Amino acid sequence: MSGYVFWGLIGLVILGGGLFLHFRYPVGSKGRSRLKWAFRALVLAVVAVFLNYSMPSHDIVRVTNTYNRLTTVSWENAWAYASPDTGTAESATSRDVRFIDAAYADGSVVVYRNEDTGWVWPPYFKYDSSNLQAEAQNFKSTKEAPEWVVVTRYGWRFPFLSIYPNAIQMKAVAGPDVRIIPWVNIIILTVLALLALMIRRMWLQFRERMVDPAVADAGDFLDGIDARADAAHAEVRGLWGRMMAWFGTWTRKPPR
Amino acid sequence: MIAFIRLSVLAFIGLSVLYLLVATYSRSVRREKLEKEWDANPPEGKGDTERAAFIKDGMDHYEHGLKKRLLWLVFIIPMILMAVIIYFVDFQ
Repeated sequence: MSGYVFWGLIGLVILGGGLFLHFRYPVGSKGRSRLKWAFRALVLAVVAVFLNYSMPSHDIVRVTNTYNRLTTVSWENAWAYASPDTGTAESATSRDVRFIDAAYADGSVVVYRNEDTGWVWPPYFKYDSSNLQAEAQNFKSTKEAPEWVVVTRYGWRFPFLSIYPNAIQMKAVAGPDVRIIPWVNIIILTVLALLALMIRRMWLQFRERMVDPAVADAGDFLDGIDARADAAHAEVRGLWGRMMAWFGTWTRKPPR
Repeated sequence: MIAFIRLSVLAFIGLSVLYLLVATYSRSVRREKLEKEWDANPPEGKGDTERAAFIKDGMDHYEHGLKKRLLWLVFIIPMILMAVIIYFVDFQ
């Protein structure tokens, strides 16, 4: 099964599920508002997961090894690797990827990949993988004489998908307990929140200035039709009126 | 290189759409402000013609003002941001 088939099927399932729920709970039905909230929660969760994947985070580790290895990159994990045209040798399904092994102070380990991100998502614009590999090599230290570094990285480690977080930067720090304030994340989240508010305000302005007047116009138009209908009703009241109305049908269209 | 060109083209299209949206919003807000300014305190004996002229005058002012020009920041800020990120990621 190729990636197109798999992601296509997922897309179809999402589309089908959405349509099913849309018709199962029509507008105004009891489940609709619950469905609305579920949808909002889902969107929020997707955004959160997406940000969790692509925003930088910091690990304080000791580098234990650096190497590169021919790695299988196929459709199920390609999304967690750099897009094809960013530097290392590759064939259709495998490529040579640089890795950095490291250990936390508590003894647990982590494996980073070290790949250029290229001119695409996520927008780290990293091109210095070779330099980073050299730095990592230089930071290599033993358990007895540890040299602690803070690694800025994004991504997840999923062993069953063979995906690794991508190391972006490395800096020496005094020890494993240094407190790091994630300024970049604070700035990103603040800007995103401001953008969301801005989009909301723009949408409300659009509704107030464009949609509502149009709806009001349509309302006036319908009111006008009603008024004419009322006049027609008044006309047919009474025998004389009814007679005239009947005569009227000879000359103009009958009032409906 | 081809990836860079692709990014430039896509970014230009995306930012142009953003620029148009923000410009429309900004213009709309300014017009609403002018309308409210007139309606809150309409001068004696002035009708709809004067109101329209007042709003048109205000909008002409806006079109040539500083705020309108600041909208170019929609293009400029992302470019600066990209340069800053490249500096911090690749040259530090």
